[in-house]
Amino acid sequence: MTTPPRTLAEALRARDDESLAGLLRARPDLLNPVPGDITQLATRAGTRASVVRALEHLDKFALQTAEALAVAADPAPYETLLGLLTGDGRDDGEHRDDADAAIADALPGALATLREQALVWGENERLRLVRTAREILAPSPQHASPTGLGPTVAEATSGMSPGRLQEILAAAGLPATHDPVSAVAALSALFTDRAGMGELLDSAPAEALSVLDRLVWGPPYGEVTPNPTPPVKWLRDHGLLLPVSTRTVVLPREAALHLRAGRAHRVPAPRPPAVEAVADRDPQAVDSAAAGQAFLAVNTVEELLKSWNGGGPAILRAGGLSVRELKKTATALEVPEQVAAFWVELAYAAGLLASDGEADERYAPTPAYDDWAELPAQERWTALATAWLAATRTSGLVGGQDAKGRALSALGPELDRSAAPEVRHRVLALLAALEPGTAPDPETVLARLRWERPLRGASASAGDTTDLRSRIALWTLNESELLGITGRGALATHTRALLDAGPAEAAALLAPLIPEPLDHVLLQADLTAVAPGPLERPLADMLSALADIESKGGATVYRFTPGSVRRALDAGQSAADLHAFLAAHSRTPVPQPLSYLIDDVARRHGHLRIGAASSYVRCDDEAVLNEILADKRSATLRLRRLAPTALAAQVDPASLLEGLREMGYAPAAESAEGDVLITRAGARRTPPRTAPVPVPEGPPVPDDTLLGAAVRAIRAGDTAATVVRKDAPESPATTPGALPRTTSAETLATVQAAAMTGSALWIGYVNADGAASQRVIAPVRVEGGFVTAYDHTADEVRTYPLHRITGVAELADDATA
Amino acid sequence: MTGPLIVQSDKTLLLEVDHDQADACRRAIAPFAELERAPEHIHTYRLTPLGLWNARAAGHDAEQVVDALVQYSRYPVPHALLVDIAETMARYGRLTLSKHPVHGLVLTSTDRPVLEEILRSKKVQPLVGARIDPDTVAVHPSERGQIKQTLLKLGWPAEDLAGYVDGEAHPIDLAEDGWALRPYQKQAVEGFWHGGSGVVVLPCGAGKTLVGAGAMAQARATTLILVTNTVSARQWKHELVKRTSLTEDEIGEYSGTRKEIRPVTIATYQVLTTRRKGVYPHLELFDSRDWGLVIYDEVHLLPAPVFKFTADLQARRRLGLTATLVREDGRESDVFSLIGPKRFDAPWKEIEAQGYIAPADCVEVRVNLTDSERLAYATAEAEEKYRFCATTATKRKVTEALVRKHRGEQTLVIGQYIDQLDELGEHLNAPVIKGETSNAQREKLFDAFREGELNVLVVSKVANFSIDLPEATVAIQVSGTFGSRQEEAQRLGRVLRPKADGHEARFYSVVARDTIDQDFAAHRQRFLAEQGYAYRIVDADELLTDS
Repeated sequence: MTTPPRTLAEALRARDDESLAGLLRARPDLLNPVPGDITQLATRAGTRASVVRALEHLDKFALQTAEALAVAADPAPYETLLGLLTGDGRDDGEHRDDADAAIADALPGALATLREQALVWGENERLRLVRTAREILAPSPQHASPTGLGPTVAEATSGMSPGRLQEILAAAGLPATHDPVSAVAALSALFTDRAGMGELLDSAPAEALSVLDRLVWGPPYGEVTPNPTPPVKWLRDHGLLLPVSTRTVVLPREAALHLRAGRAHRVPAPRPPAVEAVADRDPQAVDSAAAGQAFLAVNTVEELLKSWNGGGPAILRAGGLSVRELKKTATALEVPEQVAAFWVELAYAAGLLASDGEADERYAPTPAYDDWAELPAQERWTALATAWLAATRTSGLVGGQDAKGRALSALGPELDRSAAPEVRHRVLALLAALEPGTAPDPETVLARLRWERPLRGASASAGDTTDLRSRIALWTLNESELLGITGRGALATHTRALLDAGPAEAAALLAPLIPEPLDHVLLQADLTAVAPGPLERPLADMLSALADIESKGGATVYRFTPGSVRRALDAGQSAADLHAFLAAHSRTPVPQPLSYLIDDVARRHGHLRIGAASSYVRCDDEAVLNEILADKRSATLRLRRLAPTALAAQVDPASLLEGLREMGYAPAAESAEGDVLITRAGARRTPPRTAPVPVPEGPPVPDDTLLGAAVRAIRAGDTAATVVRKDAPESPATTPGALPRTTSAETLATVQAAAMTGSALWIGYVNADGAASQRVIAPVRVEGGFVTAYDHTADEVRTYPLHRITGVAELADDATA
Repeated sequence: MTGPLIVQSDKTLLLEVDHDQADACRRAIAPFAELERAPEHIHTYRLTPLGLWNARAAGHDAEQVVDALVQYSRYPVPHALLVDIAETMARYGRLTLSKHPVHGLVLTSTDRPVLEEILRSKKVQPLVGARIDPDTVAVHPSERGQIKQTLLKLGWPAEDLAGYVDGEAHPIDLAEDGWALRPYQKQAVEGFWHGGSGVVVLPCGAGKTLVGAGAMAQARATTLILVTNTVSARQWKHELVKRTSLTEDEIGEYSGTRKEIRPVTIATYQVLTTRRKGVYPHLELFDSRDWGLVIYDEVHLLPAPVFKFTADLQARRRLGLTATLVREDGRESDVFSLIGPKRFDAPWKEIEAQGYIAPADCVEVRVNLTDSERLAYATAEAEEKYRFCATTATKRKVTEALVRKHRGEQTLVIGQYIDQLDELGEHLNAPVIKGETSNAQREKLFDAFREGELNVLVVSKVANFSIDLPEATVAIQVSGTFGSRQEEAQRLGRVLRPKADGHEARFYSVVARDTIDQDFAAHRQRFLAEQGYAYRIVDADELLTDS
């Protein structure tokens, strides 16, 4: 035999360990730090921050239950609560029996949740909502309740004159009382009495009823003019509208509940909305579609990082990729920018790319990329998928703006959203709950998520997808499709394995669906090669050097052009190598035009040779050149014979002349046009120069502007130092020239007064470097700890922090004149 | 390894032709995908909005398209592509043009925002009249073609349900005595007649004239036939008299020299586009009779003004005939919206496999310029470069060697530059047909060539189209109109008529090595290479030493 608990602490104390553990699991914030005892736990569970957090984690029906309790009397019996959710049985046109049955079924569960989370305590006969939760959920004039109900009669009439109350009683046909408390009780009783209220409403004018209709589902407040229309006047006289302020009236809660047939919510949502399917697809087709996309995802990331191999794009100073670089990346990957941002972020989340940390920072693949690239495709995918699941960075935000209007860039700051992994898991769990091969309607997924966390999205109205959770959910669905988590909208089997079992199992399931790399291509006479599937890496690398890629996808189409063949030759391949390579990897004979093309390009390749020489030796007598080359002393000149009559040298012409002279020859220098350069002591001239400017003693003569400014400054400083000041009361006497000192309160008051009168002040001011100065200012406005003033000393409008002003003194009236 | 089809993310479809299911797959995707390239192993099709709308116009829906792709695809089809197909196809038919008992021609929408969107367009505004109700707007009947063209450009193609006028009836029958329409010709006629208006694409020499005659026999109404030139007009007339119940008197010629208007009238593009004092005096031809059918021969050459006139002919059935629906000016979509969608298309190699066109051996002969020619080429002005390398003297020697090699075979030498052709004619001792050759002289020479009295004929580009030289087995091209793909195809077409002995046709293209002639040749050959004609490349020196 236990006595019912009187406080939350007692109720908690009565719970067994497991149920306390349940509470702590649901509200982990209570554990931080671990409470000393149950009383402390109860206190902490009642703090506003903790309760708000707990409420945010409630699903819609549990929340509605809590809201209903918040508008009921405290404590409330179970039946009252049920009545508030199902209504009192009157048909108001929106009433449905099956909904009531569902509510009756779901309510114990919802109550159990609330109890477990220590938001509700007490026996079923005396259910109590934790006071803080009641304060948050109950209606108050400041914020409308989520139920749309207003304050009770008692709350709304507090402060009303007893005489006015009696008038209302009389108008409503109730006997007069002499006590406001009993008057309120009588009025409340009338509003809650079904028959009495019915009679009262029957006597109301029709327009009055339509006014009530507008207020009944909230918000319950209405504006009135001092001379209201007759229907509003009737309602006010009968207490159906009670004044809140001079211009506002409210529909009291009891009356509203009567009009609502007793229901706290217009649409109770006892059951979670079902996730509906848009299509049932063959699970096998789904898996293969997802696998195809998974393979594409892996290849796209690889392609992206490969293209950044030799140093990727530069990093913005604020972090991230510039819009232009993102565009470039998108063009290279042949995807929209938003998708490109996703791939870039994915590679980043998987640790495959990072800043290189150099002085001019650039993005580059990490060493982890090299390890990753060596893995088989299925394991590369699980690495990406695992990173994606846990990532808090959301690429969907890229291209948008943050709260301060700054653009959010890919790989940049401010992309983390802590809710992302949870929403992602939730969405995938909802998909996993469907039959294999079922593609859900995204709208219903969003509706379900909103039901599960109605307070978490900023707005809960249906069809609104602007709240963060809904946006993350939509991104999740899109990204799942891109990444091969889903195939044609339905969750793939390998993803189920990834969620339930782990990466290894997922990889094992995915492996057979990924096409085997091929070792051959089909060569065609129109100078194309088609790889009818993914190619083995060395083959792919060689082909992409030898031909241009024309089309990508499941297959790759290459086109041979003279340019592409030349590229391969430049890379050190010979024509014979290329013929052998094509013959080895083609299933069919190499087409004649292709062989011809290679030979034709090879024929001309290297026909012209380019090199650098610093100088040359030219001589019509070949024998002389032979002689020079044979001479050991010419070795330092690094001569090379280009033609019978020309040698190229790697030393500059002067050294070459010198060297040859030492060897006993008599060379002559040649100009670019081939004329002999005649060396003669020429007259040497500088380029055009101007004569030096004389440097007079002393500083330069100041110009008029400078002089004027200087004089003004001196005058103002002088005024500041010498003006006759009004002595501020109680201020210590100030010596001329010393900084004025006043208390900050006085400073503020004086400055404000001066701003109003527009008079000038003398202030002491300490600047940011600690240098003190005196200034004469005319304050214009004082706000936020700053005074904006016209500074006579500087002759411009300036802003001074008040705390830097050491003191102020008013100027004598004639000082500024 | 399963399906024969690989769907690429850039909307190309690769079909492996040696696969067991290749034929079934080809039939499944042909209605909506354009055959882009047909070399020996892998054929490339492309999905274009135009092609998809074409398919919608022919009664296919997105589900069928997606099913065909998914069924035959070797790898999973990218989801985004399927979505894109569905969205593109859903754009067709939101707007319909139809007849209204009170307001005449009206544009109706099933999707009001689309109508609002297009009505806001500045290009549409002048074409429409009053708003009849929120979903309907009147269209000036004369702007039927214009509005279809404009809507297509805006991405909202209108379905034209306004129907056709029957035109003035005139009995026409095919005279199938000892010959019959080939199966593909029948299919082409049916495809056209079922669709109402449109374009039939058949290789050169595959009998497009007969498709025209078949369509006339279906329409049984007065017909206007637009052709490229007078010779072609005579040949149409000749063929029609031979193949149909029409008599010589029923067929009129409307050309520079004659202005006859008969139940069947054959007019040249040139006379229609003749302009005097800013007006087109011969335009009234379109209104001179109540034509039941308008046939556009060589529709890829349709001059821009004729497009404009055609826009006003939307109530009449229109048939376009061509071998290559490639226009170097990129106006294929105008052909689609004004003449009609492509109703029938047969790859060249397929017709060849059926034996209706001769197999051809295409050879590119590369000649080396002599050293002095190379120097002259290097210093030539940019605009003179092509002419210089295309008319190099070395080509003449090679051409002579080729003619010698094929002595006794009917040989055509085709070129661009008259002086080059005159010189060749002199050396080969063969007559030259060029622009200044009179029609009578031309027909006389053609007849002689046909009868075998003449073995070698040198022709300029005046003979590019529609001359009927049944027994030409060798064509030697010495120069061309820069990089024109369709000209190359038309010239190959000259030798594709099936030979009595099943002999293989030869097509030589003589090209100067390492010059822009070679670059242009590569571009010219692309269409045929994509149709599966593999060019062998031979060095001229080998050829000269052989002979």
